[in-house]
Amino acid sequence: MNKLKPKLFRINTGSCNGCDVEFLATALVDKFQFHKLEVEIAEEISQANLLVITGPLTARSEPFLKSYINKLSEPYVVVGIGTCSITSGIFRDSYAINGPTDKVIDVDINISGCPPRPQSIAEGIAKGVAILNQKVQNVNISKQMDTILQGFEAPKSFRGKINLHANLCTACRTCETVCPSGAINITKIGDKYEHKVWHNTCCFCGNCVFFCPTGAIYNTNDFDTAKHQDEKYSDTNISYIKTDNCSSCNKRYKKPTTGLLKKAYINDDINKLNNNLCPECRKKENFTRMYL
Amino acid sequence: MPRVQKKRKFYKDVFVNTSKFIKILRETLGEQCSIKEDKDSYGNHSIWMKLKVKESINVVANSIKSFKGRCIVATAYKNRDGSHTIIYHFDINGTILNVEIKTNDNMFFSITPIIPSANWAEREIREMYGVEPIGHPNTDRLFLDYSIAKGVLNEFIPLSKLQRGVSKTDIMWKKVEEDINNG
Amino acid sequence: MGKTIKIGPFHPELEESVYFKLVADKNSIVQEVEIVNGFIHRGMESLVTNRNFMQNLILTERVCSLCSNNHPFTFVMAVEKIANIKVPSRAEALRVVADEIKRAASNLFNLAMLSHLTHSYELMKDTLETREYLQDLKETIWGNRMDMSVNLFTGVKYDLDAKKVVHILEKLNLAIPKIKELQKRFENDEIIKQRCVGVGILPTEKALEIGVTGPVARGSGINNDVRVKAPYSLYALRPELQPRTKPRNGCDVLSRAMARFDDIIEAVRIIKDLLSDLPRGKTYLEKRPHIPEGEAVVRTEAPRGELIYYLKTDGSQKPIRMRWKVPTYTNWEALKVMILGDKVENVTIILNSIDPCISCTER
Repeated sequence: MNKLKPKLFRINTGSCNGCDVEFLATALVDKFQFHKLEVEIAEEISQANLLVITGPLTARSEPFLKSYINKLSEPYVVVGIGTCSITSGIFRDSYAINGPTDKVIDVDINISGCPPRPQSIAEGIAKGVAILNQKVQNVNISKQMDTILQGFEAPKSFRGKINLHANLCTACRTCETVCPSGAINITKIGDKYEHKVWHNTCCFCGNCVFFCPTGAIYNTNDFDTAKHQDEKYSDTNISYIKTDNCSSCNKRYKKPTTGLLKKAYINDDINKLNNNLCPECRKKENFTRMYL
Repeated sequence: MPRVQKKRKFYKDVFVNTSKFIKILRETLGEQCSIKEDKDSYGNHSIWMKLKVKESINVVANSIKSFKGRCIVATAYKNRDGSHTIIYHFDINGTILNVEIKTNDNMFFSITPIIPSANWAEREIREMYGVEPIGHPNTDRLFLDYSIAKGVLNEFIPLSKLQRGVSKTDIMWKKVEEDINNG
Repeated sequence: MGKTIKIGPFHPELEESVYFKLVADKNSIVQEVEIVNGFIHRGMESLVTNRNFMQNLILTERVCSLCSNNHPFTFVMAVEKIANIKVPSRAEALRVVADEIKRAASNLFNLAMLSHLTHSYELMKDTLETREYLQDLKETIWGNRMDMSVNLFTGVKYDLDAKKVVHILEKLNLAIPKIKELQKRFENDEIIKQRCVGVGILPTEKALEIGVTGPVARGSGINNDVRVKAPYSLYALRPELQPRTKPRNGCDVLSRAMARFDDIIEAVRIIKDLLSDLPRGKTYLEKRPHIPEGEAVVRTEAPRGELIYYLKTDGSQKPIRMRWKVPTYTNWEALKVMILGDKVENVTIILNSIDPCISCTER
């Protein structure tokens, strides 16, 4: 079988150094199984066939990255570590950012995370090596890949991919407001709200989880973030939030959760409130109840 | 070849009485400066000083130097009327001294020749706000790439929006939406 | 005639991108040094003024992930100063715990890099393995190995119950003997001595003139630790927590490494002291503060030295101006003093000895 010894070269295009530090930990600490991949660190980019890129691609890095890429010879594989290299992440829309990486070079594997766990980095590089071998053998590149490195676990408290309890969500947009990297988007579609979390631009900070008033949004401990470039825009978490008809005016509205009502009506028994009123009608009812 | 290591003197704390320092400045600058003292909830003193004339910064710098102080950093910002405010942050043995000057003509007098630790801070003001530190020993850019025009922080609206009308975030989310709609 | 040597901007021995142009004589002694910066400049001072305060809690954390706790810590202190908020003492304690864990982990990483650069393979492995105790701790308690997302205006986002306290203490008790053993090995290792003693000299007078801070200053006989000079948070409320490190006066790479060991050992001591007597009460105030118009300057001691934040607000949801100065910003100028007259092969070791945080510096 035709195999190529993977030789890795890392380029930092302006990262906060989290991914670089964690890459080093991945490469040098045995428990992350990196040594199983038999990857060699190349001294010069011209010897490399496995390019690892971190960072959102700053203006000053761009021309240097381009000139370095010219020294690569086929076949080679590009692995982007960290949310920044995929979508410029939290730094997007700054005057100094020209990224993301795939504007300059075709990327094969993306590893989302801020920074990704070493386990995810090792997995991503394992997938990169697998694709490199496919390129050497000139066979079709597999876009859907199974997990290669086995036996990794995450503690329950690990802040992994975001998920949503749709029944608790009131589409109040707090998560959208506090998200520093624009990873959450809520739109109204017909009589439903569509709540979208895009994992490839999420920085896994848990800000949305902390500030959510109803406890609807939460971090799972899922760290399976090493994905093929084809999944860049499709690795999302979509939930739908239902709306109800107001019992008074029949307009569609989003019903508040019991928890929220309890916060708003500290002195009232919320079981006695009419639970099916839209905000407008509730205002009227409250006025009648309190002043008339 | 191993170098012979000299015995080095231990650094001795210079006892500084901030009130003495302020007194000297009040005597030399008089009406030219206003001084405010501030104490945080942990008991740390800081001094805020406003200079009426930007040239007076030389006097302050010399006096900081004689008290063995250092320049921590300097902040600049653009005011709505187009002028720039520059605040130097000095440290004298644990007390922060903030000295504010204002400039209307995109220039100020560099104190780097007196206090070398102001070097980078002043260069950054030049590239980020296009305000020239007169007499600064370095002329090249520090951080800002030459592909970006100097004075980039003068803009109140983010540049990316200014240039394209939409942000990269909006463009990327469109692609995500497309992927969702395509199943 | 000298020969020109270029290192970087992308190089396996450089953690972050920076570009050195050196001129060396025939004995490979550096005669001239030019450093090109700006590869990590992300325009963050413009970004923070376009995000609200809640988003900036995280954005400041992403300035640099080695001192990722100190940035939001200092930022929230500046906000609290403007809004005149008194933080519950339990929150102050939890902030310090998080901060000291980060300090120890950050310094251990730098020491691992030092042994990596001197090709002391076993030493590097053991240093990284020791760091893993802290990394695992951060992941189990705070949910991420680098960015802990601890700070909040009016307090902290996390709490420690008795079980977690025991867990932290257990892990630390495993790590302490390893750290002490590592310190001895670094001090006595022949290769480390050969490569680090008398290398990258920064004389005390020069250090004072340039205004270096943190372990770099402590390696040149100057102790300007903010936790002692201008104590904040719990370091002010409980002076017994302040680090009792004494500066080293070798002025070379090894002294700076040893100053880092001193910091690690004190950091662990501070955490243990705090956890044995954690103040009770709330971890944050329920009421979200209104942030009025104002300006504030606040500083803390980051793993690399003094970190200072200037914040100006106008009563809206976004800061008008935010500027911060990190330790590497001034320590960087000291590099020129250290590199000039030293050997070309020592350049990366000397660079590592100031523990450069370029992402912090260039923002």
